[in-house]
Amino acid sequence: MPALKNESKGVAAMNLKDISTSVPKKDHSGKVSGQLAYISDVKLENMVFGVLYRSPIAYGKIISIQLPNLPEGYEAVGAEQIPGPNYVKIIKEDQPIFANEWVNYIGEPILMLVGKDLNILYGLLDEVNIEFEEHQAIYTLDEAIKQKSTSGVNMASYEFGESLEIISAIEQGAHQIIEEEYDTGYQEHVYLEPQGMLGIYKEDEIEVQGSMQCLYYIKNALLNALACGDDEVRVVQSPTGGGFGGKEEFPSMMACHVAVAAKAVKKSVMLVFDRSEDMVVTTKRHPAKLKHRTALDKEGNILSMCVDIFLDGGANVGLSSVVLQRALINSAGVYNIPHFHAKGYVLKTNTVPNGAFRGFGAPQSFAGIESHMGHLSKLANIDPLEYKRKYLVKQGDPTITKGKFRDPILMEDMIMDLLNATQYKKKKGEFHRFNQQNQRFKKGIGTSLFLHGCGFTGSGERDHIKATVKLVKSKDGKVSLKISNSDMGQGILTTLSKIVAKELNLPYEQILYPYPDTKEVPDSGPTVASRTTMIVGKLLERAAKKLKDQWQIGVEQEVIEHYVHREMIPWDEKTFTGDAYPAYSWGVNFVEVEVDTLTGNVKLERVYGNYEVGKVIDDRIMKGQIDGGLAQGLAFGYLEKMTSKQGRIQQKSISDYGPPTSLDVVPIESKVFDNPYADGPYGAKGAGELTLIGGAPAVQAAIEDALQTSFRQIPITPEVIIESLWMKEGEEG
Amino acid sequence: MIKFTLNGKRVETDAPATVRLLDLLRDEFELIGTKEGCGEGECGACSVFVNKLLQNSCLIPIGSIDGTDIQTIEGIMETEQFKILDESYSIAGGVQCGYCIPGMVMASAALLSKNPHPSEADIREGISGNLCRCTGYNMIVDAINLAAKKGDGLWQRK
Amino acid sequence: MAEKITAYRFDRLDQILSQLNKEDCAIIAGGTDVMVLHKSRRGVPPKIPKPIVFIDHLSELKQVYQNHKDLHIGSCCTYSELLEHPFIPIPLKNAIKTIAAPAIRNRGTLGGNICNASPAGDTLPLLYVYNAKLLLRSVNGDRMVSISDFIQGPRRIQRLQNEILAEIILPSVLEEDAYVVFEKVGNRNADAIAKVSFAGYIRINGARIDDVRFVFGAVGPTMVRSFDIEKKLLGKTIPLADADILQVVAAFDKIIKPIDDQRSTALYRKTVALNLLRYFLNMKQYQPN
Repeated sequence: MPALKNESKGVAAMNLKDISTSVPKKDHSGKVSGQLAYISDVKLENMVFGVLYRSPIAYGKIISIQLPNLPEGYEAVGAEQIPGPNYVKIIKEDQPIFANEWVNYIGEPILMLVGKDLNILYGLLDEVNIEFEEHQAIYTLDEAIKQKSTSGVNMASYEFGESLEIISAIEQGAHQIIEEEYDTGYQEHVYLEPQGMLGIYKEDEIEVQGSMQCLYYIKNALLNALACGDDEVRVVQSPTGGGFGGKEEFPSMMACHVAVAAKAVKKSVMLVFDRSEDMVVTTKRHPAKLKHRTALDKEGNILSMCVDIFLDGGANVGLSSVVLQRALINSAGVYNIPHFHAKGYVLKTNTVPNGAFRGFGAPQSFAGIESHMGHLSKLANIDPLEYKRKYLVKQGDPTITKGKFRDPILMEDMIMDLLNATQYKKKKGEFHRFNQQNQRFKKGIGTSLFLHGCGFTGSGERDHIKATVKLVKSKDGKVSLKISNSDMGQGILTTLSKIVAKELNLPYEQILYPYPDTKEVPDSGPTVASRTTMIVGKLLERAAKKLKDQWQIGVEQEVIEHYVHREMIPWDEKTFTGDAYPAYSWGVNFVEVEVDTLTGNVKLERVYGNYEVGKVIDDRIMKGQIDGGLAQGLAFGYLEKMTSKQGRIQQKSISDYGPPTSLDVVPIESKVFDNPYADGPYGAKGAGELTLIGGAPAVQAAIEDALQTSFRQIPITPEVIIESLWMKEGEEG
Repeated sequence: MIKFTLNGKRVETDAPATVRLLDLLRDEFELIGTKEGCGEGECGACSVFVNKLLQNSCLIPIGSIDGTDIQTIEGIMETEQFKILDESYSIAGGVQCGYCIPGMVMASAALLSKNPHPSEADIREGISGNLCRCTGYNMIVDAINLAAKKGDGLWQRK
Repeated sequence: MAEKITAYRFDRLDQILSQLNKEDCAIIAGGTDVMVLHKSRRGVPPKIPKPIVFIDHLSELKQVYQNHKDLHIGSCCTYSELLEHPFIPIPLKNAIKTIAAPAIRNRGTLGGNICNASPAGDTLPLLYVYNAKLLLRSVNGDRMVSISDFIQGPRRIQRLQNEILAEIILPSVLEEDAYVVFEKVGNRNADAIAKVSFAGYIRINGARIDDVRFVFGAVGPTMVRSFDIEKKLLGKTIPLADADILQVVAAFDKIIKPIDDQRSTALYRKTVALNLLRYFLNMKQYQPN
């Protein structure tokens, strides 16, 4: 491997004046040379491949299964081979590992064929004959909303806030009541590395390796499925080529597939998805419908607001209840809205089950509230940003769940900075004049204000995760991080190592962070919810402090730290009240677009983002999160579109779905503001999801400014724009 | 028998003509640097050089590479040009999950060999067939820009 | 259980023609369409149901030359090769630049784009607008056919089993007094299948229209063109009168019948096709390329 010039000169002790200063990433060389092995790069002796037979119907009963004659060395694995109960342990017991009675969505796995030759396996798959009794499926969210009182359709619901009697009274005295319905679409992760799992057969243990975000989610699912002892199952994370939430809970099912199969056939089983398979059957961002109902006074000031959120959960509930919680907790955005009430539902449809995706319900909510506030501002005849600023929460304000915004909020500073950088007022005027003179192209500028609660929602950290970290020091002074968190590209191999190195005052190279292995590491929790830096990093900081105090040269040492919950206002899930998160990160986006009214195409012209995440652990890595997250967020607003027809996902290829290429993005002008948080390592909070959230609402606002039209859905594709222009012409003509 | 040059070595295979070059490289020659991201020529993770031209190996039946010169990321790893790209990607922070990176590096090398002083638009065009989901591309563009400057004079030599 | 695959890789065209005369073969040049069309799942080669003839290496099929005012383009010229060739008209180069991405352009061929006959083929609108003729060669000799006769439907071409597409001829294209434009509308700026495409051609003599041609792509099973509509504009002066523009647009409104699919909607396709047409017709002047 070519030697890497150490740009930051951190060869001696981690003398970084400021932890934010970037260092070379720990996993750089293997990735650039392509020699780092991801799961599909692994080959074992005595390894067979698995292929899944998937339900062709959206809803029905399995009547009979007829297998073809299987040649020597080829076997079928199904529900009968599962030692434990036939469900994937996530939250509820509604997701079979292998469906054997009812099927609930097109693509649901029913059985697996294993063998050495993929060609033969695909041929055998075609000969599997399953008889179904098809039943009437629910295909769309709208259909599910109509049937939400039917048993089984409502998978989760919550309600909280101001009493409806009071709101009713306020509405009666209001000058105007504005009701809007807003739809958000699917978003597919399109991690570059498709899903993959390997179940390794050993006589006394089943080991599962693969692309994953949550080591212990998988272990717990396996313990349940294999009904075995704790030491009979081992999970090891492989280098993971992107996750974004798509490898949070979904891999648990795949892990069960390969583990059950390995145990049954006594060989190692490799299951890797085709891209088209991955596009169609893996979890996606929940499509949502949001209803906002706001009472206004004569000047257009808000008197009360009710928000209803409906999430399309797909066929299994998975983590949808938690997604709904976060969506509801964020339903008022960054605003202090008087007399606020919210309620939400996750509804079942016979479509691909939906799950975690960066933002986890927040992107939908923020798109909705920012859209609504923007539309209200038009009624009040005030610039959208001016209108929104009037309602910005301040330090000390209560949250809508009766928690508190305890820490300083820098939103005003970040907004002022961008007003200045973009010359917002002047630019709006320029664009307005340009649009009057230009027939074909229209320019616009839009803004979004947003936050993200860091850490697991509610009491999750305290009650469910109870994170533990371990530091192990070898005789020769190398310190290993023993935690269950996955680097999926966001750089925690580097950032968490930096924290420990700086705390121990050791060279960064002396800190080791091997890929997590349940045999070696305690459960420090899943790699989700923007918790890794803040929660796990803080535990590591404490552990490192302890190790430093106890340090003995030439001796092997071990330090363990457990999560300590700083009680604020305790979270109560039943009443949906309390501090939902210990801390919040904040952001502001300004986006300039040009819309081609001939084709409806939207061109990004300039994109700005200001963020506050407490303290940045590595400048370059943070910039990577900004650029990548915002690209995804913007694309969620106008570029990426996925549809389902009669229960079948229509976009099977990457190009049909349309994530951005290098020609679809522009440089992002970003700044990160310091605001150290006491309970974060070096003051750091979470950043991984924040950067995505502001993209869609900002691009919507910019398109609305350009076209002087309101939209009530995302993605605002060229189809949506052309249709709206066509209708506008019809009205005017 | 299909005979070709692979990373400077003369090799041959009796695999059938329709086998994808991607699979041949990974299975028969055990070169894992060339990855499968989509199997349809849309993501660039499988990028290789065929007679010095950037191509997607998932779309190449080996019957058509008889007598050609094939280079994978393993084949360029020891070159000066690669070292410059390696450093530049690190300094610019262009690597996150890494799955797109070998393909990106191939595309970067192909671009700089043809156009040693590319504009930003040229760079974006040069990697337009390489999908990245993590970085939003900008830091990769910076990396290539940096490599062009750092390796000034080197690129034309190839 | 390896399936027997027959594949030929001859050095000379006459050997290929001889083989095609003996059996029905799948012809693979760059393969970027064929490999996707016959794609299997991962780890398994594509299932191509006929014996294969590889042709992308044949220099005989890569010749670009002028003959009087006609341009002859070898069918196995890759897109990248065409982009570098000085004889290729700028509008055609612009169209080629919109195809996929560099790696695909290093392999895909003009002949392949034609024989794939996709309703959204990116070179097709311009080839139609240039009234391209195709030279089909076989052991029986040469046969010329217009591109609009050759392409009969999605993936259906009028190639006899023993024929190979040898050359694409653009008649009189080297007379440089026409204004030609190509617009492709995709869902993003690279690696995108056209949702709508439009090629326009206009030649002015004095202030009058001498020749005008319109071709729409991705809005029907094959390219949409109407000689009748084009004829109506001959002799008219530039800039066109509003009434004339309205008439042409209305006429195309009747014959453009796009579909809804996973990429776009019929309404979008038709509206944008007519928008592009209207924009073209409303131009105040047409400078030859």
